[in-house]
Amino acid sequence: MPPLKLMSLPEAVRRYSWDGMQYASGAALPIGSDAVVFGRELLRQKRKDLHAIFHCNSQQLNLLVGAGAATRAECGFTGLEVFGFANGLRRAVESGQLALEDYSNLAMPLRLLGGALNWPFVPATVNIGSDLQDRSAFAPEEFPSRSKIAAVTDPFSGRQIGAFRPLKPDLAAIHVTLADPFGNAIMLGTEWSRFELSRAAKRVVIVADAIVDGGCIRQFPNLVRIPELVVEAVVYWPFAAWPQSSPGMYDVDEEHMKLMNKALATPEGTADYVREFVASYGTLESYLDMIGRDRLMQLGSTATGFLLDPYRQWIMSAAEVARLQGGEAQ
Amino acid sequence: MSGAASTPYTRQEMMAIATGREIRDGELAIFGVGLSMLAGFFAQAHHAPNVRAMTEGGVYGSTPVGGLPWGIECNRISTNATSFTSALDALGCLVGSGRCDVGIIGAAQVDKYGNVNTTGIWDGEIGERFRTPKTRLTGAGGANDIACGAKRYLIMVAHEPKRFVDKVTYISSPGYLEGGDARARHGFVGGGPAAIVTTLGILRPDPRTKEFELDAWFAFSSVEEIKASTGWNLKVSARAHPAAEPAASELAALRKVDETGALRRQ
Repeated sequence: MPPLKLMSLPEAVRRYSWDGMQYASGAALPIGSDAVVFGRELLRQKRKDLHAIFHCNSQQLNLLVGAGAATRAECGFTGLEVFGFANGLRRAVESGQLALEDYSNLAMPLRLLGGALNWPFVPATVNIGSDLQDRSAFAPEEFPSRSKIAAVTDPFSGRQIGAFRPLKPDLAAIHVTLADPFGNAIMLGTEWSRFELSRAAKRVVIVADAIVDGGCIRQFPNLVRIPELVVEAVVYWPFAAWPQSSPGMYDVDEEHMKLMNKALATPEGTADYVREFVASYGTLESYLDMIGRDRLMQLGSTATGFLLDPYRQWIMSAAEVARLQGGEAQ
Repeated sequence: MSGAASTPYTRQEMMAIATGREIRDGELAIFGVGLSMLAGFFAQAHHAPNVRAMTEGGVYGSTPVGGLPWGIECNRISTNATSFTSALDALGCLVGSGRCDVGIIGAAQVDKYGNVNTTGIWDGEIGERFRTPKTRLTGAGGANDIACGAKRYLIMVAHEPKRFVDKVTYISSPGYLEGGDARARHGFVGGGPAAIVTTLGILRPDPRTKEFELDAWFAFSSVEEIKASTGWNLKVSARAHPAAEPAASELAALRKVDETGALRRQ
């Protein structure tokens, strides 16, 4: 029997993060699943100089960068889709506070796969022949840059292709829909790159919207794409992706997405946002109060709710989770 | 000045319909969020019922429910999917591999060889040393992978002089690069941009030089207006012609897909 890995969010951040680390988000694009609440806790514990590995920008990166906690980032897409440009990130790039290394949305999972497999490099037939290859924010004096995406010869055909540098982030905080207390995790909706990331990162913390009994995992082992053996800790935190969405659980909070992005457009707005929505809560209960109980009901009545139906019978109550977690303070 | 005053449809709707007409039944297609998705799902609702649509997140077999999705992984595109996989699968196994027939991407800037910039706006050339843009945009996203890997792709962009430039400052997604056979020298798997569909008309590449030329104008536009709205000396193809106006069945199909009227507000 593997050990129980339930841990409070503050403890997980205290134990597994440090200033200057390579921190990766396990997300599903800018509007979907992401452990946004882990980023809030990184700010609460005043982590700084983070090197962010984000397949895609999310409100978590927008916040971390807008608040000055991340100074380097590698990313495939830096917008917020229909919600527009990510104002916190945009402000930091334009002012020179953030060195942002651009890749594409296929380059990032390929680089994570390379890290997961411990490959020396990953052959690239995308990102080549464009400024994604020729320009490097991490080596700005190189033009055309070849330290970012090198040029190599295909040993079989003889043609010139690219070589991606693999990624092995120090920590990945991966948002999932369901996890058991040991760290076996089920994701509803697109995985995006959470499978590759869970094998590439040196440490993985799972942030789950709900905790399920082990029976659920044994009923659907094919769906457990992140098994406990690569997981250090499991954090139980409902609405962990808020204001983003979690298929089967809750919809995107349109109003807060806009409010948050507007606030991050200025340093003053960001300071206000951090005071009101990052530093303001002490416990999971007060976090949920901060969002508002009526709002939670509304977001939770998602048309995707049927996706959760096969698993509902195994979902543990907050009290059961607290009992398993023992006396540890939230 | 908008076409809405003189036509029973908007310029955005015409652009979406003209883009959708490029999609053929049965094709394996990848759509992005917003205009791209509306054009693609219009094609599926109208003349290409068997188009096999996917998003770059690996959402298969679904159509939007409850309005235009906020993102390509939004719950509005996750309520009736038949498969959820990953970016590595969709953008890699199905697009980067060369299997995907057609993709639709957007652009902040596009040049005469169909190169797309979605990364940033600089005050002039970047120069030898890389420097941060005056205005940071969204970056490449999956568009670079579609531009490199899809058999062909379509670019949708509002037709304004600031967007149609002789040479983009930064190539986020490659078109035909410097033109001619430049693309072939780089070993891309995919074939390159087949058309630039705008709010005024349609541009297509010359088969040899790969320079984009005016191929068709919309009923509310003209060759003169399009040339004046293009930042390079746009050539007019010998085959240039007026594009067919939307048929009643096309408008009905588009408006069913665009149920919240996103294209009619603009």
